[in-house]
Amino acid sequence: MSRGLTKAFTVGLSRGGLELAQTLRTPREAFSLLSTPLMFVVLSLAIEKDIAGSDVPMSHLLMAGGITTMLVQTGLMTLPQVLATEREDGTLLRLKTVPGGITSYLVGKTVVVLVTALGGALLTLLAGALFAGTDLPRDAAHWLTLTWVLLLGLVAVVPLGAAIGALLPNPREALGFTMIPIFFLMGCSGLFFPVTTLPDGARAVVEVFPVKWIAQGVRSALLPDSALAAETGQSWQHAEILMIVGAWAVVGFLLAPRLLRRMTRRESGSRLKKAEA
Amino acid sequence: MRYGEKEVLKGVDLTVRRGEVLALLGPNGAGKTTTIEIMEGFRRRTGGDVSILGEDPDGVDEDWRARVGIVLQSWRDHQRWRVGELLEHFASYYPAPRDPAELLRELGLAEHAGQVCQKLSGGQRRKLDVALGIVGNPELLFLDEPTTGFDPVARREFHEMVERLRDGGMTMVLTTHDLHEAERLADRIAVLVDGRIHANGTPAELADRALAEARVVWDQDGERQTQLTDDPSRLVWELHEKFQGPIPGLQVHRPTLEDIYVRMIRAGEAA
Repeated sequence: MSRGLTKAFTVGLSRGGLELAQTLRTPREAFSLLSTPLMFVVLSLAIEKDIAGSDVPMSHLLMAGGITTMLVQTGLMTLPQVLATEREDGTLLRLKTVPGGITSYLVGKTVVVLVTALGGALLTLLAGALFAGTDLPRDAAHWLTLTWVLLLGLVAVVPLGAAIGALLPNPREALGFTMIPIFFLMGCSGLFFPVTTLPDGARAVVEVFPVKWIAQGVRSALLPDSALAAETGQSWQHAEILMIVGAWAVVGFLLAPRLLRRMTRRESGSRLKKAEA
Repeated sequence: MRYGEKEVLKGVDLTVRRGEVLALLGPNGAGKTTTIEIMEGFRRRTGGDVSILGEDPDGVDEDWRARVGIVLQSWRDHQRWRVGELLEHFASYYPAPRDPAELLRELGLAEHAGQVCQKLSGGQRRKLDVALGIVGNPELLFLDEPTTGFDPVARREFHEMVERLRDGGMTMVLTTHDLHEAERLADRIAVLVDGRIHANGTPAELADRALAEARVVWDQDGERQTQLTDDPSRLVWELHEKFQGPIPGLQVHRPTLEDIYVRMIRAGEAA
């Protein structure tokens, strides 16, 4: 690595740290980070039934869904929105004016997204164990499963989110273009109720996208095998998870660098002014 | 030089010497921002040669970036960052930055160091933008319409700040549509109208040019006479001789720089 790149990388790491600190010291933003785990704890406490066809409480499925939500929400909803916002408010352009600025920006953003998503997932896991009576992974093998599923999930959703963010014309379009569709996708991907209750056609569509598979992977690390009754494959399908989520990661890694490069190349003061007008 | 469908810049020939302040003066839509963005390396040109600090800005490296500072118009970025924290962060990008704390003191922002950028007034924010532009200790600073939307007090403070930088020997290129700003801050003014440089010189040279188009008015045979001349003193002397005494109704109008500027804009728009 060249000296310049090493420096941009170091500055990027500190940039990520500073941004995280800013989130934590802004009460509104700190609360919004906590709101998802909180919502899932409340939902889990409110629901008393078991997963259909098993003796596993629904709350376990819900808390696993909460962990998946943290990942998907950070990568596919927050990240595109932030990219579009920081493109429009001039953050990106400012970084374009300094040596190594764009590299440092991307490194910093990666730090923020990884810490937020993984921290949020861990927080949800612990909140479930503490307040909603759900379980932690029961042995080293299941911890390992949770780890690789979360990491693979991140590697899939973060580049995709970056690509979507680069394509968004402005942050106000995020609601229609990403928030609503992603929310809908999450709703149907087995985070809140078993996918088996969906009609076959809808299920086939949902199975194309990575969210359902990430959620299934998280459940495979947390729920006992008796919960398989409510799964589509009658097994946890780790091979399928690897393949499908991995394929999305490849798509994201092919798309994101090109789209981000295009986005930063096109950024200039006059574009900024046009966006403001 | 073409940009997109429309030819934006047609004849822009500019040289800025080290330590000099050049004002690119022109009405809105004249191509000032296009010109400066090409110089900053933010825009590709379709023709012509550009060399900034010895390099073509189209495809410059990070070392070049470190030697150039940029203050663009209308920043709203990094709103959550604290002033001091932001300036320190941006100093860390450069190989030989200025001391952020000292810079804040110099610009009168020291008391706001702990404040988040969002809470700054317009004038304070613009000072911070300049601080961010010069924290890397650049050899060349670009300022794109730096005082647009300023109230008179903020404008004066800003001018004083630019003058201090100029006195410190920094080379600057600034765009403005305000002639008085150009006159006050620049060593040289280039008037850009409709993508073409219509005049380029020191304020004194431009003023000489203003003299060249003086208008002399007098009464003769009951009628008002008007003549444009590049030597009003000679014309008046000739009239004195002709009248053998005082000239009835004599007026000599020496157009101000502003008249010349407005004339150039009108001529450019008519062309």
